[in-house]
Amino acid sequence: MRAAHSHRLGRLVIACVTALVALALLPSQAQALTTEKATARPNEDGGTGVIGGMPTRLTWEGFVEEGEAITSVTLTLPEGASFDNTTTKVTVLDDLTRIPNDATATPSGNTITVQLSDPAKEGYKLRLEIEGMAFPPEGGDVVVTGSYESAGKKKDLAPSKPIATIANTWLQQMVSFLDAQPWVQAWNQNQFLGMFMKPQLVLTSLFSLFPGWLVCLGIVVVAYPFAILLGLVFALMKISKFRVVRAIAVVYINVLRGTPLFLQIYIMFFGLPMMNINIDNNVLGVIVMAINSSAYLAEIFRAGIESIPTGQYEAAASLGMGRLLTMVNIILPQTVRRVIPTVTSDFIMAFKDTSLLSSVGVMELMMFSKNLTSVTGNMTPYVTAAIFYLIVTLPLIKVVSTIEKRMAQSERGGGPRPKAKGKESGAEADDAATRDEAKGAEPSMVEALSAPFKAGTGVFGGVADAR
Amino acid sequence: MLDRRHPHITMPDVPPAMDAEQAAVEAHARDKELTKHHFEPHEHPCVRIEHLMKTFDGETQVLTDVNLTVWPGEVVCVLGPSGSGKSTMLRCINLLEKPTAGHILIEDNEITGHLGTKEVNRLRQNLGMVFQSFNLFPHLSAKGNVMIGQTKVLKKSKDEAEAEALKQLDAVGLLDRADFKPAQLSGGQQQRVAIARAVAMHPDILLFDEPTSALDPELVRGVLDVMRDLAENGGMTMIVVTHEMGFAREVADRVVFMEGGVVVEQGTPEMVFDNPQNPRTAEFLGSIG
Ligand SMILES: Nc1ncnc2c1ncn2[C@@H]1O[C@H](COP(=O)(O)OP(=O)(O)OP(=O)(O)O)[C@@H](O)[C@H]1O
Ligand SMILES: [Mg+2]
Repeated sequence: MRAAHSHRLGRLVIACVTALVALALLPSQAQALTTEKATARPNEDGGTGVIGGMPTRLTWEGFVEEGEAITSVTLTLPEGASFDNTTTKVTVLDDLTRIPNDATATPSGNTITVQLSDPAKEGYKLRLEIEGMAFPPEGGDVVVTGSYESAGKKKDLAPSKPIATIANTWLQQMVSFLDAQPWVQAWNQNQFLGMFMKPQLVLTSLFSLFPGWLVCLGIVVVAYPFAILLGLVFALMKISKFRVVRAIAVVYINVLRGTPLFLQIYIMFFGLPMMNINIDNNVLGVIVMAINSSAYLAEIFRAGIESIPTGQYEAAASLGMGRLLTMVNIILPQTVRRVIPTVTSDFIMAFKDTSLLSSVGVMELMMFSKNLTSVTGNMTPYVTAAIFYLIVTLPLIKVVSTIEKRMAQSERGGGPRPKAKGKESGAEADDAATRDEAKGAEPSMVEALSAPFKAGTGVFGGVADAR
Repeated sequence: MLDRRHPHITMPDVPPAMDAEQAAVEAHARDKELTKHHFEPHEHPCVRIEHLMKTFDGETQVLTDVNLTVWPGEVVCVLGPSGSGKSTMLRCINLLEKPTAGHILIEDNEITGHLGTKEVNRLRQNLGMVFQSFNLFPHLSAKGNVMIGQTKVLKKSKDEAEAEALKQLDAVGLLDRADFKPAQLSGGQQQRVAIARAVAMHPDILLFDEPTSALDPELVRGVLDVMRDLAENGGMTMIVVTHEMGFAREVADRVVFMEGGVVVEQGTPEMVFDNPQNPRTAEFLGSIG
């Protein structure tokens, strides 16, 4: 008895469990409106992304399974999305045949409800195109959920595949703002302005090219100290007493100055991997730029050292200074002052020449702007790249000319001072004569004095120009 | 003797340098009449130039046979037309030019043989030189110019060198210009800094190569005054190549007239200026004065 009772109890438990499992499985089995598609139209300027917080179009398609008659569909998006002020186009299809239907859409915040005049029957396809909706501004993968009513019963929709959306940054907002400006539209109507200086693209490319600009600067700033050191070594080698040492320097300098940087880049970037030497692209870029610049700097330094008048060597010698002391204390400090403008010019060259590294895949400014141009089909990124180059080069060009002007006036007295004609020169009281008085009294002399330095920088300029 | 690099030039055979004692005896006898400088019987000349010859590029013979002695504390002014080899002789003394043949002895030590760089540098410490074009170091202040030889060559401390520099700048009347760069100084001031720079090394002998030739006339005076002070109060041995006849007449113990690479005539200023023996000297002095 007792055994029979317990047996019955066991069957009851099993039946209950079975029923529960069946209940749990029931909704999925009875899924009668299958979400076939949920996509959004790209609204990124010149891109393929979907940006949150900005108007776009959501297209949703569902398939009506057997035994259903859908009277309404409600789509729900995460908090922050908006269906306000949207226009919804509802299409009911039986295979390829359009079934006429008077549908009304009721947007309310992040949900929208579409009421069908005639129920959509089994085998029908329902398509909603909601124009002017916006995804949540914070971006991310967005899933469309919701519910539908079938024969008076409300059922849940299965979640759609996620739609990837981009956060709506202040930059995006600026772009949308520009998009809406009448002057921007008029500006872009002009073929030239629209192609080369599209305001929206100037704005966005300023940000997207920035990392490339940093790479350019980084490469040249890291490479240059090495180039200066190497250049100084080869300059000193080239004026060495020993013929072999001189010959090594001459070969190094002439080969590097006599071949295109482009070629040197190819040899290094394609040659080293073939010898199974694999160096990071940026590091290799630094190495190539340092080696190339060092050859030019060596010539600049050598010319600078040789421009120091022999009187300086003789004065140092007459104090009992040896070669090394003279070099370190007398010649090099003066050389440094003299070559600063030329070295700066060479730095400008080297900075611009980093653009050649784009040909071997270094992610620098040129590479970024090339990519952006090919995506947008617009030349504006190149113009932005030009702006980035100029940000560095223009101030340096100014620096060069300022130093050159100052140097022409300040470096006097190191060598022969032209004898002023007694009658022509103003009276220059010996003890009171300061620089200003001398300048005021004998402007012609100041000019005469600056002449050799102008000629000198001309020579250096030639060195840099040869590049 | 054949120059190995220029075999077509035959070098004259120069007798070896004289023995120190013998040379001193001969110099005493010869120079007694030629200089106003008073030297003791036991003294030796501090510079001895014997049969000095200098040829540039194996072709231009600039010094043919220069013979000269200079006594400690003596002021010798060297006159002569342009191109006569005055500068070359001066530059041979501190080896800025390498003599081709002959002997130069400083304090009885021959410097014309094969000297190592160390010995050459030591020699030059002892021979101050003032250049026609000043040759100040333009990147250093007046004070820095005077200090650098002391700190880098004599290895003096910075404070010591600075004190010495200020002392020497004061002596040339430029204490208030100590921090000026050469470009901010007049030519005369630059040359006085250059003199201070040479004197600060405390050399035994100072060489001047036309120190006032590059100066405007009104700036010459100050430089000459500094040199006169060095000669009269400093007791410095000085060899001065100059065209300043007034200075030579007043300050020099001896005037040396050079022409064509040889010493043509020498003597006290009175002898050379008032009663020149050589017609070339007379002609030169006539053309100048
Ligand atoms: N480095 C040199 N190479 C070739 N010739 C030289 C060199 N230095 C001087 N000379 C020549 O030597 C000759 C004498 O020169 P030096 O400078 O000694 O003359 P100077 O008597 O000092 O003349 P000045 O009064 O013009 O200074 C000149 O003819 C000059 O051309
Ligand atoms: Mg001369």
